[in-house]
Amino acid sequence: MATTAERVEREAKLEGVGCARKRKEDPRFIQGKGNYVDDLKLPGTVFGVVVRSPYAHARIKSINKDKALKLPGVLAVLTANDLKPLKLHWMPTLAGDVQAVLADEKVCFQYQEVAMVIAENRYIAADGADLVEVEYEELPAVVDPHKALEPNAPVIRDDIKDKKEAGQGPRRHHNHIFTWEVGDKAGTDKVFQSAEVTVKQAMVNPRVHPCPLETCGCVASFDKVRGELTVYMTSQAPHVIRTVVSLLSGLPESKIRVVSPDIGGGFGNKVGVYPGYVCAIVASIVLGRPVKWIETRIENLATTAFARDYHLVGELAADKNGRIKALRVNVIADHGAFNSHAQPTKWPAGLFSICTGSYDIPVAHVKVDGVYTNKAPGGVAYRCSFRVTEAVHLIERMIDVLAQKLNVDKAEIRMRNFIKREQFPYTSALGWQYDSGDYHTALKKVLDAVNYPALRKEQEEKRKRGELMGIGLCTFTEIVGAGPTKACDILGIGMFDSAEIRVHPTGSVIARMGTITQGQGHATTYAQIIASELGLPSENIQIEEGDTSTAPYGLGTYGSRSTPVGGAATAMAARKIRDKARKIAAHLLEVPEGDLEWDIDRFKVKGVPGQEKTMKEIAWAAYNNVPEGMEMGLEAVDYYDPPNFTYPFGAYLAVVDIDRYTGETKVRRFYALDDCGTRINPMIIEGQIHGGLTEAFAVAMGQKLEFDEGGNLLSNSLMDYFVPTAAETPKWELDHTVTKSPHHPIGAKGVAESPHVGGIPCLNNAVVDAFAHLGVTDMEMPHTAYSVWKTIHKLGLDKR
Amino acid sequence: MEVKLEKSFPIAAPAAAAWRLLSDIKSMAECMPGAQITEQVDATHYNGQVNVKLGPASAAFKGTLELQSVDAAKREIHILGKGTDAKGGSAASMDLRAAIRDAGDGRCELAGTSTVTVSGKLASFAGRMMAQVSDQILQQFGANFAQRAQALADGAGAAPAAGMAAPPRELNAFALLWGVIVAFIKGLFGRKNPTAR
Repeated sequence: MATTAERVEREAKLEGVGCARKRKEDPRFIQGKGNYVDDLKLPGTVFGVVVRSPYAHARIKSINKDKALKLPGVLAVLTANDLKPLKLHWMPTLAGDVQAVLADEKVCFQYQEVAMVIAENRYIAADGADLVEVEYEELPAVVDPHKALEPNAPVIRDDIKDKKEAGQGPRRHHNHIFTWEVGDKAGTDKVFQSAEVTVKQAMVNPRVHPCPLETCGCVASFDKVRGELTVYMTSQAPHVIRTVVSLLSGLPESKIRVVSPDIGGGFGNKVGVYPGYVCAIVASIVLGRPVKWIETRIENLATTAFARDYHLVGELAADKNGRIKALRVNVIADHGAFNSHAQPTKWPAGLFSICTGSYDIPVAHVKVDGVYTNKAPGGVAYRCSFRVTEAVHLIERMIDVLAQKLNVDKAEIRMRNFIKREQFPYTSALGWQYDSGDYHTALKKVLDAVNYPALRKEQEEKRKRGELMGIGLCTFTEIVGAGPTKACDILGIGMFDSAEIRVHPTGSVIARMGTITQGQGHATTYAQIIASELGLPSENIQIEEGDTSTAPYGLGTYGSRSTPVGGAATAMAARKIRDKARKIAAHLLEVPEGDLEWDIDRFKVKGVPGQEKTMKEIAWAAYNNVPEGMEMGLEAVDYYDPPNFTYPFGAYLAVVDIDRYTGETKVRRFYALDDCGTRINPMIIEGQIHGGLTEAFAVAMGQKLEFDEGGNLLSNSLMDYFVPTAAETPKWELDHTVTKSPHHPIGAKGVAESPHVGGIPCLNNAVVDAFAHLGVTDMEMPHTAYSVWKTIHKLGLDKR
Repeated sequence: MEVKLEKSFPIAAPAAAAWRLLSDIKSMAECMPGAQITEQVDATHYNGQVNVKLGPASAAFKGTLELQSVDAAKREIHILGKGTDAKGGSAASMDLRAAIRDAGDGRCELAGTSTVTVSGKLASFAGRMMAQVSDQILQQFGANFAQRAQALADGAGAAPAAGMAAPPRELNAFALLWGVIVAFIKGLFGRKNPTAR
């Protein structure tokens, strides 16, 4: 019999699930050996620079490209008129609307794409772009979504002003896009009418930008002889891009290859199809040369994929004890000039209806109205799963407001309303089936760890002395891993994902997935899943993603879907291989399959010590000695359609100290407990949580895309747009519980977005809590010193 | 982005001479640092340009000037100027109402209210300095105007006095920047900053 120690050692050698193995990607990245899109140097590459509108709203009277074309080295200047014969001057969006590739007669947001200058090098292209003369007639702009809905508001979209719908149901105003409703309106209204207590609060999730380190860009290379197009690009979803490019260009999908090489962070910014990509592709097809287009930081912040801009009003009905009876939410969603919202087709507000949160709320109703404004188009999930941050912000603020009204402790009111462990699987009032959770245990663990009663006591004493201290809580539930194909699709393609695994004769492995890492560490963690499933060391398991010519079709990486969907496909494909391996083992050991048992890295004959075949031995046999009638080789593919989303959760607590004269807010303590089910690599999870919390800190305390009334973007560089560095970032204390997902093959849930989704409301609640005793129920993010000082000043707290 | 400014400058010249300068659009416009009238289109319309230089980068704003009203009796003038930078990246406009008030004793005062609106890159990048920059431009305008009006009165002729510096050809943004910094520091203590909205 194998000793326990021997088995532990064998298992440790695999570096499988649960091992904090170091990231396989890092030696390359930290030595500057990454290979990003802008690192590509294809022979004969030319460069595209986009000419952009200085105005947020204007009619284009003329475009004169003569001077630009005369500049030596300029090869072409593309405008809407050049794209018209190809019908590419407009393109369809994921949300059923259309978006101008190059402005056709008018511009609807500042920095909108007007022309692209193609030249021999980037400098000439930039000089050429300066020489393109565009004559504009400025029009009044509207940047506030509420004002956009006023009867006399400027018409932003002349192209659809008479249309009754824009791809998402009926419109009721020239700047209205859609109304999306979910839940029981009559039932909710009825509860509100007779409720013992009701609270109502307006709040804003300001427009922010994910601002990844690497901006968006591509190299499009069309081979005129073969008729083949290769596009290297910063995409979180290369396969979907290939399908879109095929549909737009008419090229067969088999002649298009999309490659996402190393990607320097995505956070949602790299989900969409942007005009720059389309122009580069067209230019390459026309010129027959590789065309490179890389955004500047300003272009990135100003045009590609903002997040949030949700203007919410939440209402709770409850009994005297703070037990919630109903939730009502109304949202004005600012989608900018074109509705290129990144979403599964049927979900115009994404998964916002997860807004009943971790609480057992009997009835709810949500209404979201999408609105056009003269701001950049889009609406992506910034490190969150399709509007889940907004949803969590809403419910976590509302429950605090209710606690304040009833004078009940903010932890206590959460305990009273949590869905209980025995209620799972739990179906929410808005239709989601939560897979698993244990909210009471999580919050209790956090409260004990920080000695919550002592913190509240300290706060009370400080309040008596006029000092400002806030304690923020956030007990969130996320919904990640889009998603079950019956509910989720993108352009009609179900949101499954895939893995293809090949075991080589010597027992090493190559595996390819339909997802694409942007820093998540897939090469490390997917290998760990395979290692545990197949009993082969992860060290020898290569992971490849992002090349549509080699990887199986998948929907990509965003919304924390890699582990819930791609990771599940990986486990399932590995299990198909293990099933075949079992048959081979039975053949080699000359016993029936039923006599075998799996033991870490080998099949053993039950009760016969020493009678065993390791996976390494089986892999060799798969190429020379298989049972009669069996195909040679050891490989499998799995396309996984998840039966449900996964619902990771957590309990966060923040303590802030605020200077009552300057408004400067210091995060004294941040305790984050996450539950993502099975933990594949604890070190990577911790890294993800550190990153997510830091981005949460960024949004809560400093990030905002600020516009003036004329639609000029005032925060278009890193001088004005806050990106935290180690100097500003607080210390993060991490903790966890493990509540496995019952439907996921290895019980894992997504994790990388939880800290962002939960961190923002937690910090926001902490800041507001510092003023709660003075009747403050909301403060608009970001909580910069100036912004907080304004509240202090209004309350007269800064008087000496 | 919009900034409203109100300013007045004492002028050591009689009101009549100052008014002569103010109502001579071409000469008046050239008191604006870096500005030039290139062409008179008709009685009330002019074409012009403003050159701005900030280190190695320079921008030329081309635009139109429209005389909205002239009241010789009250010595008041209302001008609307609009321009776009030749590269199309920014636009600016200025609505200026200026008047000469007799201060007696052969002296007068130039009083003006202006609303400056900028859009495009200028608004995005220079937004936070808009109020101060506009204030400095007007300050230089006032100084040039006072000097010219005085020369006009002294020489009683149209030609500038000998030895008097010609108005700068370009708006010197470095000098301007210094002025902005000085004004900012003064503002910190004096709290007399113009308000931006």
